[in-house]
Amino acid sequence: MPENPETGQPKKSVLVQLANYSELAFIFPAATVVGWLVGTALDRWLHTTWLYLAGLIVGIIAGFVALIRLVTSSDSKT
Amino acid sequence: MPEQLWFTEILNRLFGTAVTGLLERLGIHPHYPQAPIPNSLGMEVLVCLFLLIVFLIVRASLSVDRPGALQHTFEGVVGFIEGQSHEIIGPHSEGHTPFLVSLALFILFCNLIGLIPGFESPTALPVVPLGCAIVAFMYYHAQGFKHAGLKYLAHFAGPMPALAPLMVPIELISHLARVLSLTIRLYANMFAGDMVTLVFFSLVPLGVPIFFLGLHLGVSFLQTYIFVLLTTVYLAGAVAEEH
Repeated sequence: MPENPETGQPKKSVLVQLANYSELAFIFPAATVVGWLVGTALDRWLHTTWLYLAGLIVGIIAGFVALIRLVTSSDSKT
Repeated sequence: MPEQLWFTEILNRLFGTAVTGLLERLGIHPHYPQAPIPNSLGMEVLVCLFLLIVFLIVRASLSVDRPGALQHTFEGVVGFIEGQSHEIIGPHSEGHTPFLVSLALFILFCNLIGLIPGFESPTALPVVPLGCAIVAFMYYHAQGFKHAGLKYLAHFAGPMPALAPLMVPIELISHLARVLSLTIRLYANMFAGDMVTLVFFSLVPLGVPIFFLGLHLGVSFLQTYIFVLLTTVYLAGAVAEEH
């Protein structure tokens, strides 16, 4: 497999990069929606009214973390 | 009664009563007790039967000296996915090839079946991509536990123990978001492909829809590839040596 001269790591093929970058568009909204859904489910289970908001915030943070992790891992291996 | 495709109608006639009885026993009341099997399930069953027959034909006609066209095709598919998983997962990736090939062929034929008149793509409904995504999710976590044992759970806590209470919910939501991301990507693309073909078919019934059928064909292959590739990437993360 060809290596990146700067990092010494194996280069990813164009198709692998394409799939990775297609993940960028989906992971942030998906994490936000999942956070909100988990919070809403906990609200129903525990009969509270504020956990949906906490879930939404954790979902947004998780989305940012996943997004940044994806971008940095893609950058380091191209 | 819902609108049924001819294959679903046959399934409902043969197994409808038994399926309704089983669902009732489980406490589930189907909307249409006479036709509890929806088109999506009917098409999935058809794809499974088709793949089973093709696999049996390939298995029966395997030859080292004179491999046939079907054997060459399947060797090409398996070789491609094996090479791809070796590139992403690294050594010892061969054990995952049967799962990845089965997933790829199932999704591909579910996508392609919609091109044949009288059938529809089950992946154009959200439940089928969701099922595939849940299978992929369970498989890569199971492999993570198989590879690292209970230490795999440490992967969710992040690198610093002090930050674990914060990292665990974030990691859990990130992993669940992967299921939603895989589902929406496949479902939205197949649904859009079907809709575009249908709209242009209703506007210009001759000639023009062929271009969109071609587009649907391309999208079917591309989405299958992306689904399997992302599953491989997640699998690589779960079985990585650093856990």
